[in-house]
Amino acid sequence: MAQATWEKAASGTSTTQSTSRKRGHWKFLVGGLLILAAVAYLVISGTVGGARFFITVDDLMSSRAAYAGQLVRVSGAVIGDTIRYDRENLIIEFTVAHIASQNDDLAAALHAAVNDPTATLMQVRVENQVKPELLQHEAQAIMTGTFGEDGVFHVTELNLKCPSRFIESQPDQSIAEPQV
Amino acid sequence: MLAEIGLTCLLLAFIAAVYAVIAALYGARKHNDRFVNSARNAALLTFPLLLVSALVLLIGLLNHQYQIAYVWQVSNPSTPDFYRFTALWGSQQGSLLFWCLVMSAFSAAAITLNWRSNHRLMPYVIAYTMVTLAFFIGLSLFLENPFARYWILPDNSVVSTVLIPAGGVAPSSLRLAETARGLNPLLRHFGMIIHPPMLYLGFTGFVIPFAFAMAALASGDLTTNWIKATRRWALIAWLFLSLGLLLGGRWAYDVLGWGGYWGWDPVENAAFIPWLIGTAFIHSVMIQEKRGMLKTWNMFLVIGTFSAVIFGTFATRSGLIESVHSFAQSQIGTPMFLFWAAVTLVSVGLIVWRWNRGELKDEHAFAGLLSRETLFVLNNVVFVALAAAIFWGSFGAPILSELVLNTDITLGAEYFNNVTPPLFLALYILMGIAPLSAWGATTARSLGRALVVPLALTAVSLVVIVLLGTTSPGALLGYGVVLLAGFVALYETYRGAAARRRKTGDNLFKAALALFGRNRRRYGGFIVHLGITVIGLGVIGSTLFQVETQQTLQIGESLNLEGYTMTYSGLEPGQIADDGRIMDIALVTVSRDGRELATLRPRHDIYPPTAANEDPMVMNIAGAYSTLENDFYVLFAGGEGSTATFKIYINPLINLVWWGGLILILGTVISVWPTETLPAHARERSATIHRAGAPA
Repeated sequence: MAQATWEKAASGTSTTQSTSRKRGHWKFLVGGLLILAAVAYLVISGTVGGARFFITVDDLMSSRAAYAGQLVRVSGAVIGDTIRYDRENLIIEFTVAHIASQNDDLAAALHAAVNDPTATLMQVRVENQVKPELLQHEAQAIMTGTFGEDGVFHVTELNLKCPSRFIESQPDQSIAEPQV
Repeated sequence: MLAEIGLTCLLLAFIAAVYAVIAALYGARKHNDRFVNSARNAALLTFPLLLVSALVLLIGLLNHQYQIAYVWQVSNPSTPDFYRFTALWGSQQGSLLFWCLVMSAFSAAAITLNWRSNHRLMPYVIAYTMVTLAFFIGLSLFLENPFARYWILPDNSVVSTVLIPAGGVAPSSLRLAETARGLNPLLRHFGMIIHPPMLYLGFTGFVIPFAFAMAALASGDLTTNWIKATRRWALIAWLFLSLGLLLGGRWAYDVLGWGGYWGWDPVENAAFIPWLIGTAFIHSVMIQEKRGMLKTWNMFLVIGTFSAVIFGTFATRSGLIESVHSFAQSQIGTPMFLFWAAVTLVSVGLIVWRWNRGELKDEHAFAGLLSRETLFVLNNVVFVALAAAIFWGSFGAPILSELVLNTDITLGAEYFNNVTPPLFLALYILMGIAPLSAWGATTARSLGRALVVPLALTAVSLVVIVLLGTTSPGALLGYGVVLLAGFVALYETYRGAAARRRKTGDNLFKAALALFGRNRRRYGGFIVHLGITVIGLGVIGSTLFQVETQQTLQIGESLNLEGYTMTYSGLEPGQIADDGRIMDIALVTVSRDGRELATLRPRHDIYPPTAANEDPMVMNIAGAYSTLENDFYVLFAGGEGSTATFKIYINPLINLVWWGGLILILGTVISVWPTETLPAHARERSATIHRAGAPA
């Protein structure tokens, strides 16, 4: 009997606890959904505002009108002879060549790009920047900027990769050359 | 001979790791201790084998063994011995071997130290750590072998192979030395010397909590044993990862010459994401320990951290992403991706299996919205949201756009600058409030009471900041939120010390020291929070109030910027350093209010080309006059005749980022430091006294 009474009381308490727990769960659920919505809003608005097409020199030069005025990201191979640096005004100008999209060996692709007389070329201008150490012949330039009416790509963010960083696994034939 | 020794050790380590996995799983399944012991011995053996292998490569580097392709690629006769040593992790193959060595050291230490106390988990811990190790050794052995050597074939072509090719002869040592490449100049910096090892220690360290969590799932021992066993390991890994991130930032600031330290580069983000999830995990396990809650969530967090480590490594080393920091394109991309996917799927599968069996049920429900556990969960949610947002910006959007839209879309720094600040602010708010709430339940009133003093201190500080000239609402909001978190950490420490002083009569300093001795985890944690606060102040100051200018000056001419006067004194061109680089050094003096503060030497380091078809590599090394208030940071853009051009940045509060990092490390060390344990007989006596004196 005592057990039955205890069980009944326990059952009543359990119902109350369960109801309050459910109410509590709703609070957490609503809170969680609000947080999720806020994060989703941040990410979506950030994505819409910050998305940049990452295109090739060919893409950009063949669809100049489509990309005019748009902030885009372009990858190209730097042609060393064209680098001009106005150190007094911190203006850098150079030309990049189109890099083939499908390549297993980027070093070879960069080398091929700068030596291909038929490769699409694009003039680039970077302002207000000290000449980066990696800006050299056959470097890969990853540039964010806009294509201007002057036919020049105006860069706001310039990242470079030195070609020597891509030849790590390639044996150098000069090893086999006779000693000088 | 040297290469053969290294190669043999690497191969033996691979065999030992594979054997350890098989023996451990067989032993666990058959409850056969002999096999489990054998698995342990094999797992322990991997460390000395890998150590010998790494030492052999190091000897090759120090002894100019240029026939080893790796040595040829990362050093040359003019490379100083110090950089020969650090070249061990200067490129893909060496750093993979180093990664394996560090992982085996962690595994051996964890297995040895937990062998008796967590015997039931051990077979699975061995299996998980050794599967991971075997995979990485396999990459090193079969795809990125650091012991490959150069051979000249009969047709005079040069190949790099592990085994001697038919008809292959060794090139002349002199010719090899003449043509050797040398270490990438970008890597010749103190921050870069210890930044990679710290990151590797952080990355590989997270293998241990992951392996223990998976062992708990596999063995069915789902108590808090695995958490207790791995709390320190997780903190140690977190410590090294934090150090790695800070040193990476310092390297970028000193070497990359753009006046900043964090550029939201995918490789930086790949290291930051595991740090964020790992931080959530370190907080979240406390709830499981104290309240028996969040069992499933903790499993997901530890898997998430390890998964992020593997994914980050894959992204960095496979050539998947374009970054100034990433390694060359490599064949290891596909196997690494498959390994990452397999690890993640198996781990999640184990969680789902245990969940379905009802073995991951929480022991308590959440008591209230302001309870400490709820606030900790909120903190976890924000950490994970930050990690997810950064993952999306770095990898998710570019990969998805290519797969779905067949076009490459990338998200630049604007994305991160818009998305992350609100989430960081939320984290700082929670960092301020959560330590003040109680486990179980807290009322808004009691929480409000506890916040009065820190809020008052924050308000006073903000008034001072306004009086000093900062009026931007965004900056004041940022400073306010960050300072509140710091004042809560200080105030809680003070309250603890004051209570102890009242009880013992010690002075406040002694009481505080005793407090740290008694509860290192809690008060070490407050020091970490203080470090994060100082970093936050530095980030806000240096991001929102950076000033830059550029000017060409004649010798003797000056420019004024933010109260500083910089005078160009002259150029020292063509200085030759010990390692063969040529330095063009500009001399500038910096003064303030007519008082000369420093002579700075911003310079160009010119590294001569190592091959005929290469350009010399030029690095811009900044000169900086540093105070806690700001950095006067000068880049030498070039000079001709009596003129030189400079780019100058004033970076307010930037040194707080580094000082905050040091405080963070100090706090973590305090938290990790082992508590003195009494001998068994003393523990027993102490327990008897406590029982006798306990209130009825």
